[in-house]
Amino acid sequence: MMELTEPFDLSQPAISKHIKVLEKAGLVSRSRDAQRRPCKLEARPLGEAIDFLEQYRRFLEVRYAKLDALLETLKTVNDPTAGTG
Amino acid sequence: MSHSRTITVTARGDRELVITRRFNAPRQMVFDAHTRPELIKRWMTGPENWTLPVCEIDLRAGGKGRYVWHNTENGADMGMTATYREIDAPHRIVHEEMFDEDWTGGGTEIITTFEDDGETTRMEMVIRCKSKEARDNILKSPMSDGMEQGYARLDRQLAERRAA
Repeated sequence: MMELTEPFDLSQPAISKHIKVLEKAGLVSRSRDAQRRPCKLEARPLGEAIDFLEQYRRFLEVRYAKLDALLETLKTVNDPTAGTG
Repeated sequence: MSHSRTITVTARGDRELVITRRFNAPRQMVFDAHTRPELIKRWMTGPENWTLPVCEIDLRAGGKGRYVWHNTENGADMGMTATYREIDAPHRIVHEEMFDEDWTGGGTEIITTFEDDGETTRMEMVIRCKSKEARDNILKSPMSDGMEQGYARLDRQLAERRAA
């Protein structure tokens, strides 16, 4: 824990609190080694979440490109289905 | 964020996913494109072989909606029932979505807002899951294999086209 406080301008209790949140979220695991409690980054769930969001973004991007094209058509053609009603 | 047409997809808090997108069209037109079946069918398709042959919407509080996507290549259908909770045209829609084969852990509540921004319209869609667990399960699930296969096929076709 002392080692983790070094690169940050934060107190040990503050670092402790952040680590606990990350541990609860499954992003950090902790073991015991005599007086030390080494932290290990569990990157897999983080990677999974980013993968989903990126895939979903790509999927929506294709869909919204189609909507952009439709909107352009509606703007140029006085399409009766595009009224203000 | 000032870029037009940049989409953002983020996980927010314990049980939300938030999508934002800007459209280069007036708000009423963007609202119509999200609520009129004859317009929705023209864009809410994909990936690749997925069409939207069924789209029925009873746009009022308590009204129901029914969407069925169809895969023209393998014949698969994917249905979803919507229940509208609040309609404030052309500004805000609150509705619930439940897929026939529920992959969202009990359905979602979706709050969609459309804001004027100069000549453009800014859309924000908040997808709220039933629980933190349900949201986290969605984040852990890769999107359907069919979707990835669709992208892989597209990549191949593009590569072939380049090679030709």
